[in-house]
Amino acid sequence: MLICKVVKPLVSTNRIADFQHKHLQVVLDGSTQKVAVDAVGAIPGDWVICVGSSAAREAAGSKSYPSDLTIVGIIDHWDPDAAKEMAAGKPANPSAPSGSGGAK
Amino acid sequence: MEIMQVMGSLVCTNRVEGFAHQNLRILRTPKGKLSVACDPVGASPGNWVFTASGSAARHATGNADLFTDLTIGGIIDHWSPDG
Repeated sequence: MLICKVVKPLVSTNRIADFQHKHLQVVLDGSTQKVAVDAVGAIPGDWVICVGSSAAREAAGSKSYPSDLTIVGIIDHWDPDAAKEMAAGKPANPSAPSGSGGAK
Repeated sequence: MEIMQVMGSLVCTNRVEGFAHQNLRILRTPKGKLSVACDPVGASPGNWVFTASGSAARHATGNADLFTDLTIGGIIDHWSPDG
């Protein structure tokens, strides 16, 4: 699953009917912008978890829903700078509020 | 299936029910890309694990109704990143 930042809603009036009434959000995955179906009601600026493959379809509505990327959760705390350190290999834990689940 | 390193846990209270009570871990590929995975085995930061992705990840959690596309399959006993 990806960690993305919600940029803004995507408004598309002329779209296939299978999308029904679901909100679409423009999300930023690193530096690439993608479109995700919003299943939790995120607002621009939120850091969210996006899921793909068959789980994206079910999270968005039904097994036949035409989505390959769906927002399934809004992260409580997320620090992008600490994330860059983690990507470099230091197992810091940017998302642990003080004293929660000693993941150190 | 890929080999990744657990970097930490992810707390996400506002999420869809399809996640049930799965623990979420932040994983890092040897190339440095971060991703989030469900953790049925209880890995701790620093552990090297192998993961299942795609629809296989849903069955790996033991409950195929879960909404995940990446699940930790197990903790590797000995692994050196360049090995």
